[in-house]
Amino acid sequence: MTALDSAGFDPIDEEAGRESAGTGGARRRFALEDDTGFDEVPKKYRRFYRKWRGPEDELAPNEVVCPVCKIVIRSARELREGDRVYCMPCMSRLVVVRGESGRLEATVRY
Amino acid sequence: MTREAAPSDGADAPDIHGRDPGAFLEEVHSFEFWFQSVEGYLSEHPYGVVAGTRSSDLTASERDALISVLSTYCIGESAALEGASGMIRFAPNRHAKIFLATQCVDEARHLEILLHRLRELGVDDPENSIESFGHPSLREFRRRLLEFVDARDWEAALFAQNVVLESMEFAVFHAHQQTADPRTAQILEGILKDERRHMGFGENTIGRLLDRKPSTRARLGEIRQELDALVFGTFEESLRAVGQSAAERPEVGRLYLDTVARLGFGA
Repeated sequence: MTALDSAGFDPIDEEAGRESAGTGGARRRFALEDDTGFDEVPKKYRRFYRKWRGPEDELAPNEVVCPVCKIVIRSARELREGDRVYCMPCMSRLVVVRGESGRLEATVRY
Repeated sequence: MTREAAPSDGADAPDIHGRDPGAFLEEVHSFEFWFQSVEGYLSEHPYGVVAGTRSSDLTASERDALISVLSTYCIGESAALEGASGMIRFAPNRHAKIFLATQCVDEARHLEILLHRLRELGVDDPENSIESFGHPSLREFRRRLLEFVDARDWEAALFAQNVVLESMEFAVFHAHQQTADPRTAQILEGILKDERRHMGFGENTIGRLLDRKPSTRARLGEIRQELDALVFGTFEESLRAVGQSAAERPEVGRLYLDTVARLGFGA
């Protein structure tokens, strides 16, 4: 896993963790690599996003679809209800919720 | 693509989603963010396509339909170019002014590459032809948008341009890209990458505005009712012209309807 440019980033478990439900034990962590061809944000952020391949696209536990622009948002950790995620391609702030289907979804927070 | 990390992967590395919300908004509205974003997909794409990309052979009727549709797109892009540039003057803060400046450049590029594609399709004077080939409802939409801009009506202009127009364009371009010839498809793919920013800026800015000033909702709802018919009519016709089946068209409109629903505007 290539080291992230940490300038300007807050540690993962501080700010985002405050909004998380924080249940369910330790979270799995994921190694993200810039290998999906996604090119719509500055290079240092590309690993956090990928194109959505439609309803048949199986999401990993660290992924949710942005409802605004339909890009898959990826996190370096397993996502849970209450987590905050950012969609840079459409500049949206989102919170992870459990949808009616039982799957994790993102809902926009203006 | 994504795999579970071993301890040696640096699993304690910071995650972008842990950033401060203010710092996130500051960065994504900046010129620097825009520049580094577009650099990734504009370089080596003269007029929106990779050099050497071939167009499939179009029949005369397919070519005429494509000319009509691209002319309508040009009217939408010129409306957004004139709208975004005019709105910079009365945008309420630096974030919005700088973002709109980047949007102007995006819209200018879209207009230029679409005009270039029309020339490739044999239109001698596309700048003057788009007015006659383009859909009259979108010309009326442009007139109404620029009225809002001339009146320095920030809420109405932003809603009309970056919510109504941009989200419908996003849906239609995405649908058209699936069936277009390779050159047109590449052009539309590049435009869609810009449109994500434009419609995201619109929805998020209007969403924050409505949170602060709920009384605005009724007025924007009336504007939506007025503009819906113009934009839906235009893009319904465009989708039909590019061969989208009637059964698929409601799916295209859903993205726009979902957007306005998130903002609290019902059907």
